[in-house]
Amino acid sequence: MTVELVVQQLKAGYPAGTRGGAEPAHLAVRGVDLTIAPGQVVAIVGPNGCGKSTLLRAMARLHQPHAGTVSVGGDDIWRLRQRAAAHRVSLLPQSPQAPEAVTVAGLVRYGRHPHQGLFRQWSREDERAVRAALTATGVADLAERRLDQLSGGQRQRCWLAMVLAQETQVVLLDEPTSALDLGHAVEVLELVREVATAGRTVVMVVHDLTSAARYADVIVAMRDGEVVATGPSREVVDAALVERLYGVPADVLAAPVDGSPVVVPRAGGGRDDR
Amino acid sequence: MTPPTAPDAPAPTPPATTPPAVPTGGDAALRVAPADSTVLRTGTWSWLFPHRAALVSLGLLAVIAVIVALATLASSNGMSMGTSLRGLLGTGDRLTVMLVQEFRLPRIVVGLLVGAALGIAGCLTQTLAGNRLATPDIIGVNEGATGAVVASVVGSSTAMVGEWWLGPLGAAGAAALVVLCAGGAGTRGYRVLVVGIGVSTIIGAISDLVMSRQNDNTAGGVFLWSVGSLSGRDYGVGQPLALCLLVLVPLALVAGRRLDVLRFDDDVAAALGLNVPLLRGLTLALAVALAGIAVGIGGPIAFVALAAPVIATKLYGPTRVPVIGSALVGAALVAASDVLGRVVAPVEIPVGVITSVLGGPFLLWVLFGGSPSRKA
Repeated sequence: MTVELVVQQLKAGYPAGTRGGAEPAHLAVRGVDLTIAPGQVVAIVGPNGCGKSTLLRAMARLHQPHAGTVSVGGDDIWRLRQRAAAHRVSLLPQSPQAPEAVTVAGLVRYGRHPHQGLFRQWSREDERAVRAALTATGVADLAERRLDQLSGGQRQRCWLAMVLAQETQVVLLDEPTSALDLGHAVEVLELVREVATAGRTVVMVVHDLTSAARYADVIVAMRDGEVVATGPSREVVDAALVERLYGVPADVLAAPVDGSPVVVPRAGGGRDDR
Repeated sequence: MTPPTAPDAPAPTPPATTPPAVPTGGDAALRVAPADSTVLRTGTWSWLFPHRAALVSLGLLAVIAVIVALATLASSNGMSMGTSLRGLLGTGDRLTVMLVQEFRLPRIVVGLLVGAALGIAGCLTQTLAGNRLATPDIIGVNEGATGAVVASVVGSSTAMVGEWWLGPLGAAGAAALVVLCAGGAGTRGYRVLVVGIGVSTIIGAISDLVMSRQNDNTAGGVFLWSVGSLSGRDYGVGQPLALCLLVLVPLALVAGRRLDVLRFDDDVAAALGLNVPLLRGLTLALAVALAGIAVGIGGPIAFVALAAPVIATKLYGPTRVPVIGSALVGAALVAASDVLGRVVAPVEIPVGVITSVLGGPFLLWVLFGGSPSRKA
């Protein structure tokens, strides 16, 4: 059996629901279906308020949906205990806050928390996972430094290391590059590809359509709580989609190296009234 | 930069149970275990033994031992240390033995326990709110306990303060009110503080109103207690106090590892497998119970719940939430302040007044000094 991430008929809104409860006043995700194979990078794109963050939070067991299921490896994560779910799905929120004065190694060690207990405080597995995560993200040299004394790009790689140390099949990232300059953003996205190559599934919410198109195997485009397009970037991302999502006329070019779509908004085009 | 593989390329398919390994095993020389701890492993079990915490705890125990010794031997009525020692050992005259063994010693023990309870309660509330000012003093719990005990003296002719168990009841009432007004125990930060300050003020006003309606005799006795005093406290209250701590302290210790994770924001904590609302609720309940019992017995001894965790963090380092450390520092603070109040003046100064006098400058230090990186 392959460990797939399957989202079925997911509906979520505000205020967050109780299972089988009444439909909420505002429905942010209106019946989403997704099947994501292991080893894929999936980018959820769409305008602000399209429900992509709510979808990600429902997949991370942070926002209780009203209907539908999110299953990883055949089990609905909303029927698992929080800790059991944390063995399967990890999340890097948009602007996470760490305990005061934590070191990089200290932060990454917290990634092992769901695997630890009163009689299992620091196993060889923990040691191996933390070491591997520090090395994979290139922050091993910073291990003893304090997190709050690092630059934004370094910090984001440290957070990524913490999430990797959790060693879950599914890794969720909420706008992992939104606060980073181009160089650091590329660094993080390259890392994301490596994680997927190792066999994990990465689902991320991304604003920049061009980098989403370049780094994701699958683009999931959302508008008004519904998926309007899904598939490989070269098939999905075109001028019509950009217009439909953002109401902005744009040219979609092919990157010289590999032909992946590059979105160039037309100057003076302005927003349609829709 | 390598372009992504086509999505239909065969992806590695690991088995369901074991998560795939992270690429490359990493440098084996890289030290990743907590540097301040020794790892103890047997079979699949493993523990961390933190050196610094162990050393600091031993040091604090030694300090407490010195305080207890001084408090046992120190006297406010001119009894010499030698006489006190004979009283302690039971070789002195009957009056001395009774004075030392049945009045002085129980009071010291109760002081230690009350201080430990206040220290842990402060540690828990500070961790919950992510703010060093969020102590039971400030979020209404102490005022609730005080109010309940003060209200119990209405109409009584004795100058004695009512039953200690009214403390935790009043604390629970005030906490419930604060949580209700703040919109749930899951609310973090300023909202709980602001609501708590409001509720504290209201309950404090009611307590004052009740006090002002009593005759001088009753009001005097209650007043002494309402500033925080261990005067006349003996094993009668010490036993239930010790029993409560025997149950509550292990709970706080078990929560300790999870409290460490609670210092992240709630999203990270939940993603790391914590049932955040449940943990918050239980931790708050634990803090309310500890603070309520402590106040019910010793009165609202000020600043201990604020200072103990802050000092403990300085001593133990910022790696963990210092539950044991807060208990030890709290115990030392209350016991030391009580003996100071007993011997420093001809007429006894209540322990709460001593901690207030020492606590004011400490509060300023927390607000303006200390580590500037943390929002206070």
